[in-house]
Amino acid sequence: MRTMRLFALALGAMLVSASALADDFLAGIPRKDVLIVENPEGTIKNPSWFNVWVPGTGGGWSTGLHQLAMDTFWYIDPEKGLDGAIDSSLASGPPEYNSDFTQMTVKLRDGIKWSDGVDFTADDVVFTVQEQIQHPGMTWSAPFAANVDTVTATDPHTVVFKLKAANSRFHAIFSVRWFGAWIMPKHIFEKVADPLKFDFNPPVGLGAYKLHSFDPNGNWYIWELRDDWKNSSMSMRFGQPKVKYVAYVYLGPPEKRSIEQANHNLDIIHDNTPEGILNLMKTSKSEHSWFEGFPYAHPDPTLPMVIFNDQNPKFQDPAVRWALTLMIDIKQVAMASYRGAATISAIASPPTGIANDVYEKPMQGWLKAFEIDTGKRKFKPYDPNVGKEIADSLRPSLGDAIPSAPDAIAKAIGYGWWKHDVKAAGELMEKAGYHKQDGKWVDKDGKPFTVELTVEDNARSVMTRAGSMIVQNWKAAGVDAKTVVVQNPFVNAFRPGTFEAGIGWSIETWGGHPDLSFFLLSWESQFVAKAGEPQPERNWQRWQNPELDQIIEAVKKIGFDDPKGTELGIQFMKLMVREMPIIPLMSYNVETSMDDTYWTGYPSIKNPYTNPVPNWANSRYMMERIQPKS
Amino acid sequence: MWSVARDLFRYNRGFAAGACILAVLIVYALLSLLSPYDPADAFVVPPDIPPGADFWLGTNSRGQDMFWILSVALRNTMLFGLAVAIVSRAVALTVGMMAGYFGGWVDRALTMLIDTFIAIPMFPVLVLFYFMIKDNLSWASLVLVMALLGWAYDARLIRSIALSLRTREFTRHAQFAGMGTRDILFEEHLPYVLPVLFSTTMNNMIWSIGLEITLAVLGFSDIDTPTIGTTIYWANQHSAMTTGTWWWILFPVAAVLLVFIGLFLLSVGMNEYIDPRSRLDRLRA
Amino acid sequence: MRAYLIFVLRRFVQFLAVLFLAITAVFFITHLTPNDPVEQTLARINSGMANSPEVVAEMRRTLTELYGLQGSLWEQYVEYWQRMARGDLGPSLSAFPAPVTSLVARAAPWTAGLLVTSTVIAWTLGNLLGGLAGYYRQNRLLKAAEIAAMGLQPIPYYVLAFVLLILFGYVWPILPITGAYVMNRDLSFSLSLVLDVLRHSILPAVSLILVGIGGWFIGMRALVSNLVTEDYVLYAELGGVDRGRILRSYVMRNALMPQITGLAMNLGAIFSGTVITEEVYGYPGMGKLLVDGVNSGDYSLVLGVAVMSILGVAAAVFLVDILYPLLDPRVRLG
Repeated sequence: MRTMRLFALALGAMLVSASALADDFLAGIPRKDVLIVENPEGTIKNPSWFNVWVPGTGGGWSTGLHQLAMDTFWYIDPEKGLDGAIDSSLASGPPEYNSDFTQMTVKLRDGIKWSDGVDFTADDVVFTVQEQIQHPGMTWSAPFAANVDTVTATDPHTVVFKLKAANSRFHAIFSVRWFGAWIMPKHIFEKVADPLKFDFNPPVGLGAYKLHSFDPNGNWYIWELRDDWKNSSMSMRFGQPKVKYVAYVYLGPPEKRSIEQANHNLDIIHDNTPEGILNLMKTSKSEHSWFEGFPYAHPDPTLPMVIFNDQNPKFQDPAVRWALTLMIDIKQVAMASYRGAATISAIASPPTGIANDVYEKPMQGWLKAFEIDTGKRKFKPYDPNVGKEIADSLRPSLGDAIPSAPDAIAKAIGYGWWKHDVKAAGELMEKAGYHKQDGKWVDKDGKPFTVELTVEDNARSVMTRAGSMIVQNWKAAGVDAKTVVVQNPFVNAFRPGTFEAGIGWSIETWGGHPDLSFFLLSWESQFVAKAGEPQPERNWQRWQNPELDQIIEAVKKIGFDDPKGTELGIQFMKLMVREMPIIPLMSYNVETSMDDTYWTGYPSIKNPYTNPVPNWANSRYMMERIQPKS
Repeated sequence: MWSVARDLFRYNRGFAAGACILAVLIVYALLSLLSPYDPADAFVVPPDIPPGADFWLGTNSRGQDMFWILSVALRNTMLFGLAVAIVSRAVALTVGMMAGYFGGWVDRALTMLIDTFIAIPMFPVLVLFYFMIKDNLSWASLVLVMALLGWAYDARLIRSIALSLRTREFTRHAQFAGMGTRDILFEEHLPYVLPVLFSTTMNNMIWSIGLEITLAVLGFSDIDTPTIGTTIYWANQHSAMTTGTWWWILFPVAAVLLVFIGLFLLSVGMNEYIDPRSRLDRLRA
Repeated sequence: MRAYLIFVLRRFVQFLAVLFLAITAVFFITHLTPNDPVEQTLARINSGMANSPEVVAEMRRTLTELYGLQGSLWEQYVEYWQRMARGDLGPSLSAFPAPVTSLVARAAPWTAGLLVTSTVIAWTLGNLLGGLAGYYRQNRLLKAAEIAAMGLQPIPYYVLAFVLLILFGYVWPILPITGAYVMNRDLSFSLSLVLDVLRHSILPAVSLILVGIGGWFIGMRALVSNLVTEDYVLYAELGGVDRGRILRSYVMRNALMPQITGLAMNLGAIFSGTVITEEVYGYPGMGKLLVDGVNSGDYSLVLGVAVMSILGVAAAVFLVDILYPLLDPRVRLG
């Protein structure tokens, strides 16, 4: 017993003394000088590795490194941008192609310096391309080698790329949507024997910030505003950032992020569970998000969907794909996944950024008139009122947080979706040669029609939740369906093609620009892998279609800003509706929330100058607008 | 055996309490067969209703009635723990007692086997197994894998007891008296091993159920099958811990707790039966 | 003495054999993983940019070559032992080209510090209380301790850890809930660093101790209540020996043997870390390394951590075995 008492005493003493001597959440820097941001990448496995030009090194990217220290020619904002959606950063203007898109000329800004004081010139750009071509296995080695014939600096501020073949979207490699091909410091890397083994610690960058300190165990990185911030492409134009230090931290499970934000130890949460963000908004006065009210979250230009493996004989008939679509009750899916806080989309475009104006809204008339043949009758599957109905059903519990103006509902919750019509779905199943036996769909030989839906583990819980609900809908309609949980299905199911159907996305767009090339060019039929072989990004549905190929050919031939691009986009959307190779669901709503205790001026739907989701490299523009609270 | 249980039930309050708790839990778990809802279905009742007259244990954020979900979860979890314990006890007892009793090369060979299984780190192997068999991850396959990984520690413990028994007087007496190996092991040695066996059964069930929960929390399990682990998994997916739906966490935890208290009381009672001195103790008190 | 040396030698050979068998088993198990590190890396690069499919195929080819993943499983196995002989665990495939040894070396001290402390504290408390409870069966205080120990153990660790975190990090926020030290901490040795680390380790350690005590408690209680029926204890009691002395000198000492074995094995096993502690409290350590490794198909990392763990456990077992005859003279060598 004596030992016990001693132990209890010691433990108590330790507790008291340790709490009395408590350090702040942060040592050595006043809290009010630091913007603390969540890094969703998790604990960085190889914390002292900053060489982003080598992949798979266990080094972090969204630790502030690619947001604050890296830079390249252009940034395409998923929202409106500080000065237009397309910001020419290191470049002084848009890319200049020759008439047949075999040559691209880039003019560079003057007065930009690396964070160690060395001038940035066209030589750095030439080096970036040549070094990576010479060392296969670097992040951009393959795209450079495939596209670039020669790259030359005609003067210190002009670079000319001669391409191996016509490519009207070559500049996309250097355009930041989440990230882009970052420019390397020649003066550092030219002294390195093997760039694949070089850790680039400390990093030398072109951004307005430089590394201050980092956790040797990979949980936090602190960046400090450069004294010569004027020599960075962003701040030379938009002025001195008011944020002196930015810390990117990993905190663990979503509940902890909520706790730390409520404790004012975390200014920006990257993502949360829908319940978590609703609870934060309800209980805390200093928190807010992208939307003032429901659904709060920021819709990223990514389209979660049901991906069919269209090589699987079961899903080759569009009637079956349509039947499975009409069995889904999108209201229940929105409820199960996002607690209703989903922004739904009936067409193959994320309902975010500019897409609402160029695709969703103009297509409403066509969608309402659209008919499918169920084999028994002509059927109009589109229900334009779903968005409004979801809003109405949420209003009793969430009140004013729910928008009521039709336009606001359309933006926040979406326009319409496909009808939940099990009868029409049944007719389509019969058209495809199935019949019902004891309440279950079976094929001609009496074999049950089964669907395995691959969902991700808790890394993206809302997607798992959506998948579970869809399976339940299918089961209710007589399909023998079940979910299969896979860690990172993109790697472990979609790529190898070992799935029947899955929740994921094969459509991601620029957000702030109507061009669809970001995903569309990889959908060409010639790139569809044989069954059993790995499918490269992003045609996970392995879908082939001659009309699709025609559209892609046409897109390749026109420039990035050609107004014809939007027309082709609408043609693509219509094809996708008729064929339904994937079932579009909603935008990827990231449950980002910000705390106003120390800082204000975060981007929001009212002031949409950039994406607040802090692992996007585009989020660097936040530093230009965020102000200290006092 | 039946009369023993009856006597214990009558005269040992702890045993009676344990048996009652387990009986109630088993009845509750069996009720799952009458559940009005398919346990895989979500949004069959209004979500997030606190415990009350309509829903005794409340409803979770997936719109499921906690009373019925927990009943299925409890059934699956208890069966799982029990199955792992039985299979792994059988292996541990056989290997441990044989090694301890025979000694010599048999002991060395078996010890090497035991040590190899002890040395293989369990968690990564389990997770790797999950990746390999996840497409047909069945209840039985998980039980088998867990049982095969969970016997070695206890076999070693049993071996060490058997080893000290082997050099004891009564073993030699029995050998001189011409008792067969099987009889010596079962009649002379087993009673000494039984208390440890019961306490390891408890620990093994705590271990296997705990590991099932750990795997489920990390997502390495079949999330469509309700167990205590997957219930907590779904609660985490909805941030139940911080958003005030405490009943989603509390009731599953209480259920596991009751299972163990019941088992513990049973094993203590059994111990006291096996070990007559304890009965004396009770009389003396 | 000579007999003992022969015994030790024989045990040592057995120890080596166990190492060989276990490492071999884990080598083949880890290489059966369907996760592919090359595909993981490809997914990471391509999630952020629009590369054409030809480009992706080219990336796959170069990465496979870079990671040295060509060659048959058998060739890789032989090469693995050759490297092991030099103390090299090879490069990690998900943190290429960082050597596995450097990743392990960074995480191991944190894991060891936290787990050795909390295991030893839990063991001491559990055995002490369990022994007392087994001997003084009627003591009410000990009964209460028994119920507490019993009640805490089956609580799912994740829940227990999180409840502690919410209590002391949110409801009554007096303790840090993330990491092993505050942000921007200078990690060169100083008093404030020690205090900082201590303070950060309170919650993880307490959570581990709370769930750890129960097992030792129950085990010790069972062992002691078994031993008190032994003749020598009865004789001593009848002979009027002080009960405290009986407990200390006769009962506990004998009952401790299997518990010491258990402790040694638990200490040996700490190298695979505690995934949930590390996840909940953001504490650096081997557990996360391991799960990350498994998730990303980084079998050289998983294997590296497993080898450390195998070494730890096998060594603990070996030590217990060769010390056993010295502590318990009833065990005959042979």
